[in-house]
Amino acid sequence: MSARAKVVLRVWIALLALLAATTALAFAPLGSATLFVSLAIAAAKALLVLMIFMELKASSGLVRAFAAAGFFWLAILFALTMADYSHRRDVPAPIDPPAQASIRG
Amino acid sequence: MAERAPTFQFATLSQQREADALGMWAFLATELLFFGALIAGYFAYRVTYGDEFIAAARHTKVVLGTANTAVLLTSSACMAMAVHSTEQRARGSAALWFALTALLGLAFIAIKGFEYFEEYREQLVPALNFAVGRYGGVTQLFFIFYFVATGLHALHLTIGVAMIATLAVLAASDRLPSSQPVRMIGLYWHFVDMVWIFLFPLIYLAGRNG
Repeated sequence: MSARAKVVLRVWIALLALLAATTALAFAPLGSATLFVSLAIAAAKALLVLMIFMELKASSGLVRAFAAAGFFWLAILFALTMADYSHRRDVPAPIDPPAQASIRG
Repeated sequence: MAERAPTFQFATLSQQREADALGMWAFLATELLFFGALIAGYFAYRVTYGDEFIAAARHTKVVLGTANTAVLLTSSACMAMAVHSTEQRARGSAALWFALTALLGLAFIAIKGFEYFEEYREQLVPALNFAVGRYGGVTQLFFIFYFVATGLHALHLTIGVAMIATLAVLAASDRLPSSQPVRMIGLYWHFVDMVWIFLFPLIYLAGRNG
């Protein structure tokens, strides 16, 4: 087995182990920490794919910067969107019309 | 067989390789923002509707979703091996790894299709037969997200399967392309895998301990 094949095999095993861990932990009584645990494991899986399968580990700084740019803009998109939604309250402003339509069935 | 010389606009092969990679990553950045905006929508729903939205995720088929994640992670490993074999100009093993990657992609789509069918039977498909009286409006909103996100992901996957199946046929008929285009298709395939890595916990694992 070539050196690259060994690396790919190890990463594949690690990815499946992380998948098993995240699925098992989703049923554990972790309360609201569940979301952060599952997202942290997803980030670890994504990092393995990015660095090894997508070869960013062996790429030049310029290629890595291009790859990071997408994530940088995504972080802005998330920060500004969530800054809005997480500060909204379910209280109508005086200017809002009474009896708001609701999608709750 | 040696790699080809660079095309006319490049001085060296390594310059051409870097230009290819930069262009591909610029494209993948647009794809990242495309799927990222969808996922930002998911979190906006989650913040707005809270536990009701999270509980809706319990109607998804977690066994099928987990199996599909394993299938896709395995296909990515196979694609990494296909790129490696192409670099080594090992035509036979490249053809085999391409075929395996494409078959795993097809398996993913088949499982997804079965899942959609099950959801249709349970009246969970918005715009077709969603039972609002039974599940409620917030669950309907979750399933609108679910079908848009997984549908767009499956579309990307189908495009990838078509490209990789073509590579399998080319490799098997002694017309294995140079490693550069193969590596770019590999980047696309791994990216689609990465999107699923994030969709999976948000769609299938949310609300399981509630």
